[in-house]
Amino acid sequence: MKKILLVEDDKSLSLLYQEELTGEGYEVVLAADAESALELVRSGGFDLIITDIRMPGKDGIELISSIMGMRKDIPIIINTAYQSYKGDFMTWAADAYLIKSSSLDELKTKIRELLAD
Amino acid sequence: MPELRKDILTGRWVIISTERSKRPDDFRPAEISEPKKESPAFCPFCPGNESKTPPEVYAVREDNSRPDQPGWTIRVVPNKFPALQPGSPPPKKARGSYQWMEGVGVHEVIIETPDHNQEMSGLPLDNLARIIRVFRERTINIEEVYHHQYVQIFKNKGKEAGASLAHPHSQLIATPIVPKRIKEEIYGAERLYRNQFRECVFCRMLREEQAAGERLVYRNEKFAVLTPYASRFPFEMAIFPLRHSAFFRAINDEETVFLAEALKQALGRLRFQLEDPAYNLVYHHAPNPQVSEKAWPGIDSYYHWHIEVMPILTKVAGFELGTGFYINPVPPEVAAEYLRKNESPSS
Repeated sequence: MKKILLVEDDKSLSLLYQEELTGEGYEVVLAADAESALELVRSGGFDLIITDIRMPGKDGIELISSIMGMRKDIPIIINTAYQSYKGDFMTWAADAYLIKSSSLDELKTKIRELLAD
Repeated sequence: MPELRKDILTGRWVIISTERSKRPDDFRPAEISEPKKESPAFCPFCPGNESKTPPEVYAVREDNSRPDQPGWTIRVVPNKFPALQPGSPPPKKARGSYQWMEGVGVHEVIIETPDHNQEMSGLPLDNLARIIRVFRERTINIEEVYHHQYVQIFKNKGKEAGASLAHPHSQLIATPIVPKRIKEEIYGAERLYRNQFRECVFCRMLREEQAAGERLVYRNEKFAVLTPYASRFPFEMAIFPLRHSAFFRAINDEETVFLAEALKQALGRLRFQLEDPAYNLVYHHAPNPQVSEKAWPGIDSYYHWHIEVMPILTKVAGFELGTGFYINPVPPEVAAEYLRKNESPSS
């Protein structure tokens, strides 16, 4: 079973994602901030990371920069409510930049695409 | 008393506040805006991270190196997450009284050097000339392949200027319409050509500026660096080719070396005299010749391409945004005198 790390500070949203993605056959581990996400990444075993950008403490862009410093082979999806971070070239460390939507279809499609590689 | 100065081309007025003008030293920041001695944990533009960018569309690289692998000196890649979708110009459509079109364009990033900690002004002259030739080649390619109306080449340096990465890079965005700023300059130049001077207003102004010398920062055989008469920003500079030409794409190889030297001088003086402020640098040139010839017949006679360098030393606030009227606390003559003082040590 493919293992996904979901970094999201909004608890209800992360539970929704967890439920939906578990239903798709993935194991989903939750982290509410960048620091705890980094700890989990260090322990290894993830096939893909989905991260929000605006979070308390380190933001998602700092998080992916730190992850890249450790290992570059885990696909990352940025999942944010904001278009504006597209102007930040550090987001290029991610494999996809998605805008949060009530439908998770785009997210699910992108996950399938990245895990198929 | 402050002085109101009019930009002859655009008709824009600027308040040059000579009375309370700040001394150039007032703009030296307490600390350099962006300490760059340490590389970040990760940079998508650094060699070895090519897989994190879209496939390159152009590169200057060692003969035995492969695309999207290290071994490059300049690399051009499409924006990974572009604001405009790649493609050729879509048709204009109507929605009641309003016009709209699909958000199509070309957005490319030119990574200027593999060295994360380098500065454009610190690059060897040949490398900088090569970057300018890459700008030229990409402009020609995009105009001829995609037929977009305008190719905007620009550089944001430093956080305050909108740069998100310190790794030296410029950007290019081709748009399906000619931007308003460019149209204003073209119409201004055309009006002055037809109704007043019967010659290119830029050539005339360059002659006057070189004779007066008070706003001249640097010149070589083929380019001049000036602080514009109606500068909007403290230490704003403009770089003009001395050979009349409307089209940046017409720059020849020899001229790219002289432009590289002028850029090194302009940016090097900013860096060392004002302690490395953030800046925006933009190329202004005639739109795609396929468009220019129809929309502005004779544009090659009256328009003159140039580069504008805008250091970020003050904040644009309500008055400027509300009126388009800028207040510049450093008269351009004072700025030029200060910038002239020393040659860029990087040259």
